[in-house]
Amino acid sequence: MERKVRIGFYALTSCYGCQLQFAMMDEILQLLPNAEIVCWYMLDRDSSEDEPVDIAFIEGSVSTEEEIELLKKIRENAKIVVAVGSCAVQGGVQSWEKDKSLEELWKIVYGDGKVKFEPKKAKPVEEYIKVDYKLYGCPPEKKDFIYAIGTFLVGSWPEDVDYPVCLECRLKGNPCILIEKGEPCLGPITRAGCDARCPSYGIACIGCRGAIGYDVAWFDSLARTFKEKGLTKEEILERMKIFNAHNPKLEEMVDKVFQEVKE
Amino acid sequence: MKNLYLPITVDHIARVEGKGGVEIIVGDDGVKEVKLNIIEGPRFFEAITVGKKLDEALAVYPRICSFCSAAHKLTAVEAAEKAIGFEVREEIQALREVLYIGDMIESHALHLYLLVLPDYMGYSNPLKMLDKYKKEINIALDLKNLGSWMMDELGARAIHQENVVMGGFGKLPDKTTLEKMKKRLQEALPLAEYTFELFSKLEQYEEVEGPIIHMAVRPRGDVYGIYGDAISVSDGFEFPSEDYKKHMVERVVEHSFAKHSFYNGEKPFMTGAISRVVNHADKLYGRAKELYESHKDLLRPTNPFANNLAQALELVYFMERGIDLIDEALAKWPIRPRDEVAVKDGFGVSTTEAPRGILVYALEVKDGRIAYADIITPTAFNLAMMEVHVRMMAEKHYNDDPERLKYLTEMVVRAYDPCISCSVHVVRL
Repeated sequence: MERKVRIGFYALTSCYGCQLQFAMMDEILQLLPNAEIVCWYMLDRDSSEDEPVDIAFIEGSVSTEEEIELLKKIRENAKIVVAVGSCAVQGGVQSWEKDKSLEELWKIVYGDGKVKFEPKKAKPVEEYIKVDYKLYGCPPEKKDFIYAIGTFLVGSWPEDVDYPVCLECRLKGNPCILIEKGEPCLGPITRAGCDARCPSYGIACIGCRGAIGYDVAWFDSLARTFKEKGLTKEEILERMKIFNAHNPKLEEMVDKVFQEVKE
Repeated sequence: MKNLYLPITVDHIARVEGKGGVEIIVGDDGVKEVKLNIIEGPRFFEAITVGKKLDEALAVYPRICSFCSAAHKLTAVEAAEKAIGFEVREEIQALREVLYIGDMIESHALHLYLLVLPDYMGYSNPLKMLDKYKKEINIALDLKNLGSWMMDELGARAIHQENVVMGGFGKLPDKTTLEKMKKRLQEALPLAEYTFELFSKLEQYEEVEGPIIHMAVRPRGDVYGIYGDAISVSDGFEFPSEDYKKHMVERVVEHSFAKHSFYNGEKPFMTGAISRVVNHADKLYGRAKELYESHKDLLRPTNPFANNLAQALELVYFMERGIDLIDEALAKWPIRPRDEVAVKDGFGVSTTEAPRGILVYALEVKDGRIAYADIITPTAFNLAMMEVHVRMMAEKHYNDDPERLKYLTEMVVRAYDPCISCSVHVVRL
């Protein structure tokens, strides 16, 4: 018999929702005969962060010095590192105020109080170690986990999604929240895979799966539409930054739209 | 010469939500110090949402916690609605409570079966119980599937429910789905009763027996439940929710990214399922009422382990309550999902009973944006009391094998069902 695949699930700073999504899958019972869980503190008391694993799932943003050390250890011990969810992939909603200083944020919340651990501004995992694959979403869909693990188990590699939420939304036949209702839906720039979950409930997308990759997230095009609907540059950036604060293209592309007008 | 003692530590408590540890320092005269180290990084939720548009802030708040994201969403939305002076229709309120009940069912089932039960059955991991305790694991899965399905239908998904908005819901399930929900709740009742039976047989360690101050939200309409506008204390005192800062005083402690809370500034207190039962058992009805009457001695106010059984009791109660609330909503069918809200300036406090206890949201709205936010979660309220109980356990067992001591203190922590991510979302001074 082939040896079992060794899996570790590690948490940085987060809401634990990605692990919860994983733990809540009935399919996990089918995975067990083929996999050994080496580290998963949320479910297993006999967990170790020092053991080698085949697949390391990492949830959460990097928000303390201790977490950087943990990351390096995971990278050394793992064959495949998967960043799971918007915190690990994009720095999470805790990065919304990326431009405010740590001191400022600390003061608002803790006042002059001190703790003995070293806090940091939230950052995505990729800023510190190499990431081999990403699961998007806040939280990722169950099928995202199944697809990735299933593909790894057969010795193949999962594809990345490179088309926007709009595509799935159109296929579902939903009315367009952006065009027809005039609400600031982020579907056009957001990575698909959720089956347009929120727009299907009549709720404008807030972009939890992050901007589409391959430099095809047309922040400028969407910003132009938002601007025509009366949103200011600040309002547009605020909304797009909920899940994309670390995106290197965002500000530059939105800026472009507002410079156009002046000419 | 003085003896040297190494601190006994659990760096990372397993089978709880979030990252925390226990540190017990033992000296010649016994236990010197006990600390619950909360090492989950800070996320500054209040700081990042101040100045932001109301609807966007409301989308971000549930991200404080996954185990009770519905609780966060519903409480935040109610605080915002109170701030702008809006009240939802009765049938919308009923359906919001059904969504909240979905969260209760999932959270309690997960906590009891996957986090607590392995300790009692001698396993490190619930998945390893599958061979010998297949029935229990299947019940756990059935209950969590029911809870998460309810949240899917009413909240758009089981974690971070975007479907709840000011004024109501984005979209409502159809009548057939609600009828099916009622049926599934009815079918799950025997599973909840089985859970209660099972947990009524588990040990409640007498090492931590002693008086506890309990706080719980006084439920509206005098029916045991989730929403309320006042906080009751087990010493007989009661105060309006708006006064929470006066009676639940927070302090920064250096070993934790989460602050500690004290009743009237000095006494640790407990909140959670057992606190709800202690303070408001007279408002239970149906099968849960009968079970309470016959198991009063086990659902006692003096032991944190009673919280496990109280959660099991609530599984029974909230299923029956959910059925009644669905009936209430169905009586008004068809229901318009959402009313227009006019966003005005104002200040609102919402207090609800999350699965783990009192959750407070205080929001000030100005020009359509959040001007002030204060959020306090049940785990943050509980931390000081938890340290007291961990200490009591340590004082009885510090001479034992350190592994045994670690195991027992972890069980104390788990009985509180702490949600550590929640507690470090953190609050303004």
